[in-house]
Amino acid sequence: MFRTCPVTGFKVDSQAEGLIRANAVVAVVCLLIGGIFALLVALTRWPAIHLLGNEWYYRALTAHAINMLFFWIVFFEVAGLYFGSAVVLSAPLAWPRLAWLAFILMVGGAALTDLMIFTGQGTVLMTSYYPLKASPFFYLGIILFAVGALIACAVFFATLVVAKREKTYGEGSYPLFTFGLAAAAIIAVLTLAHGAIIYIPTFLWSLGLIPKLDAAMYRLIWWGFGHSSQQINVSAMVAVWYALASLTVGAKPVNEKICRTAFYFYPLFILIASAHHLQVDPGVSSAWKIWNTGYFMHLAVLASMIHAMAITAAVEKAQRAKGVGRGLFDWLARAPWGNPAFSGLFLSMVGFGFFGGITGVTYGTEQINIVAHNTYRIPGHFHGTVVAGTSLAFMAITYYVLPLIFRRQVAFPSLARIQPWLFGLGMYGVAGFLMLAGSYGIPRRHWDITFTGAPFAFEWDPAGITMLSLMGLSALLAILGGALFVLIAVVTVFFGKRVEKTEDVTFPVSAPAERTVYA
Amino acid sequence: MEMEREAETPGAFVLALIFLIVFIIAYSGNWKYLAGTWWVR
Repeated sequence: MFRTCPVTGFKVDSQAEGLIRANAVVAVVCLLIGGIFALLVALTRWPAIHLLGNEWYYRALTAHAINMLFFWIVFFEVAGLYFGSAVVLSAPLAWPRLAWLAFILMVGGAALTDLMIFTGQGTVLMTSYYPLKASPFFYLGIILFAVGALIACAVFFATLVVAKREKTYGEGSYPLFTFGLAAAAIIAVLTLAHGAIIYIPTFLWSLGLIPKLDAAMYRLIWWGFGHSSQQINVSAMVAVWYALASLTVGAKPVNEKICRTAFYFYPLFILIASAHHLQVDPGVSSAWKIWNTGYFMHLAVLASMIHAMAITAAVEKAQRAKGVGRGLFDWLARAPWGNPAFSGLFLSMVGFGFFGGITGVTYGTEQINIVAHNTYRIPGHFHGTVVAGTSLAFMAITYYVLPLIFRRQVAFPSLARIQPWLFGLGMYGVAGFLMLAGSYGIPRRHWDITFTGAPFAFEWDPAGITMLSLMGLSALLAILGGALFVLIAVVTVFFGKRVEKTEDVTFPVSAPAERTVYA
Repeated sequence: MEMEREAETPGAFVLALIFLIVFIIAYSGNWKYLAGTWWVR
């Protein structure tokens, strides 16, 4: 059963719409859980407060990472896959029952893993490095979640086939937004294969059916899962950037072929780039490390730079075509900054590029990694990529998902306007100050960096401690921004006014004729 | 006669240059670790 969206003109399959809503709602719930633990972790890392005891610190750190990096982002991505296939291509969702089964598996798996973490039976951090052992149910929960995500990818691919066969979106290649999501889904299949290869033996080992695992092999394969899963996020985030630029200012790429070519680079090279997590591992040679991270990794990085510059140029061209701005940067100064979807797009691009991207390449270099490894530089880097970058982009697109899919007017529009700024600038602070603390050598994943009770006293440079305090203050700002997002999303979904016509959409959508990127 | 083509997106080009400069500064700021591998034994 289809309805026609009055704003975009898409034919929306009701099954797809229901699944998008369900996945998006659970994503926000996971964001809330992860956010509560983010507050606890930040207040413990802030040396003057040092809130939690050691046991609960590691429990909170595990819960924070798994809920944010796996659950919030993957649930949102699955919603994005259904939107990018069924809705954008005006096609019926293939295998809706299987899609609901995927949803049930993912919710069940996430709940089981969270339960194990909360009850202290899964305090092994996100990486769950062997020989740290959690309850078998911890691993089982992740396996169920991953199987559900894999089924969701299959539904996405099947829907693409249906759309192509039935010519629901016209002739030719898929729209760029869908193309980017397809790249993300291909990486997801590779990622989940690695997850299966490593989590299934670990699960059997936790049951006592396998006597031991190889710790070095665990790390090698786990990072084929752990890092590649972040590249799903990058690919999906870039697709969302194109959609946001298109929806907010009507931007379309100056040369779309270049953008499509750049998407090919992600599945081809990013798995190799996972090697940068093994820079201090003794089991692999320096030549292997340098070849993978000094050469191949940069091809994946090149793709992100192509996208970032292509989108910036597309926004500039669209603005100039409308006669907005004459000088070098008038087009940017007079951009729709009051629209949280646009400010979120801009802050996400700057956060990902400057805070996450540059530092990722720098710290991923073998020689530099020797000093950066296991310091706060690394969490600083990935808070720039996956939080200031991916999470903020997903928050920004939500301001269009709410009126177009949930068909509700965004609640508290004034708060929505400042939300990306609070979250984005707060996360810039978290990422930046963590990296600065790490540059003083302060270790990550350590409950008590002051080594209380150790036989020999050790003093950090006071500047490093100050950086952690500033990180704590920034985290409060970011968490306030995150809490506002959850508040706005929940109130809009349950109490928002209905969207009946185009004028009801809270933040303006560019004219349909301009939106060639995804339609 | 060859026509001079006006740049379509000069602002984006300047932003790309700024990114490149920040990239080089961040990378070369760690020069001693890079140099240490190749030149010092």
